[in-house]
Amino acid sequence: MKIVVDRSRCAGHARCAAAAPELFALDENGYVATNGFDVPPGQEERAARGARACPERIITIVDEQC
Amino acid sequence: MDDLTLASKPDHVSLDLVRDLDPWVEIMAAGADGHARAARFHTEYPPIFWATRLGYFGGCWVPRRAEDLRRILQDPETFTSQGLTGFSQLIGEAWPLIPLEVDPPQHSLYRILLNPLFTPKKVAELGAEMQALASDLILAVVDKGGCDFNAAFATRFPVLIFLKLMGWPLDEAPKFVAWTRTLVKSSDMALVAGVCGEIAGYLRGRIAERRLNPTDDFTSYVLGCEIEGRKLTEDEVLGVCFLIFIGGLDTVTSALGFQFHHLARHPEHQAQLREKPELILAAVEELLRAYSIVNMRRMVTKDVRVGDVLMRKGDHVLISTELADLDPEEFTDPTQVDFERQDNRHMAFSYGPHRCLGSHLARRELAIALQEWLTRVPPFRLRDEQRIEMRASGVFSLENLELQWT
Repeated sequence: MKIVVDRSRCAGHARCAAAAPELFALDENGYVATNGFDVPPGQEERAARGARACPERIITIVDEQC
Repeated sequence: MDDLTLASKPDHVSLDLVRDLDPWVEIMAAGADGHARAARFHTEYPPIFWATRLGYFGGCWVPRRAEDLRRILQDPETFTSQGLTGFSQLIGEAWPLIPLEVDPPQHSLYRILLNPLFTPKKVAELGAEMQALASDLILAVVDKGGCDFNAAFATRFPVLIFLKLMGWPLDEAPKFVAWTRTLVKSSDMALVAGVCGEIAGYLRGRIAERRLNPTDDFTSYVLGCEIEGRKLTEDEVLGVCFLIFIGGLDTVTSALGFQFHHLARHPEHQAQLREKPELILAAVEELLRAYSIVNMRRMVTKDVRVGDVLMRKGDHVLISTELADLDPEEFTDPTQVDFERQDNRHMAFSYGPHRCLGSHLARRELAIALQEWLTRVPPFRLRDEQRIEMRASGVFSLENLELQWT
């Protein structure tokens, strides 16, 4: 499972970080600090929750098994 | 529909999309149940309709679906916010509220200066101080068995935090409370203009003072900021301070009012949070969603189609956070308050680059207020439900909100 973040459209709601702080780090402006990552095993549910928390809809879950 | 309405309808707006109403008047007429009335817009009106009037503004488009509002707010090039609050124009001046009334790419030059001050981390550092302010205000009334919630707490708490942040004297609080209420809530344009002038005068005085005697406060920080290799102009510093002023005071006051009104009417929700305080953060998000209070406008810069509607250059568009957050296509059972709601992607703080700069501060203020009240005050209820009035304009609010706990 992969997470892809369309970082240029981040508006700094920081809801991803509120849902899964260890997966979605914020920069010094409070905006998401990653373009995406491979989700560590066992963290899928938290990663998905962080992705689904984004009001801007800029975080996508890529499920490689599909 | 009368002739006046037809005359005030732009030619390109087809008649079937016109509703001869002021959305704010509709919502206000429902009293304390204004949000329930707003929720019914979703079953009664087209996805985007033309309201013939809005407060002291003229007619405007009203998109009610979250998806359309998201698209509009994520495209500030087509939907500009320049000059739309009109505060400086009211007093014959021309400075914009910064960064709100500045469009990208210029917008981000200012926004970058301010973002670091309002991150979740920065705001967390203020937690203990905010908690102390909240508990002092509550301790002053807890033995009285009840209080006027707005006077005793909701107006004072955010103003005290704001004054601390700005580095201005705390005893100015009552003046600020009166100003913000008129500015954001009054429908009397002359009154608003008068207050606008007073606030601008006050801010200019404070700015001049900090220019002479800089400290580590917000005003001094803004004075020290540079964009494109130059310091900010007088008007730019004023535009930033004015926006922080109107953004941070009345909004939190009003949100507190709706949140505590809800809890007073729903003892089961109070009990739930008293029993499980770990739900408070989620409760704040859910109450922000169910009782969104901010309405803004945008102006169309070029002809554009949104859904089935053609908007023309120069048209105004209402940005209604409560309509988006009560959209049944976006939220299951939107009128139900559920502290355990999953995936609560509300837009109480708007979408897109103009997302509320103070959102993380507001969230923390609201959470601290709930936590301190529920810890220190026994179960509370409304003293007189009949007296409560709702005001709907740029920021919705509840008046005569008296709580009782003995």
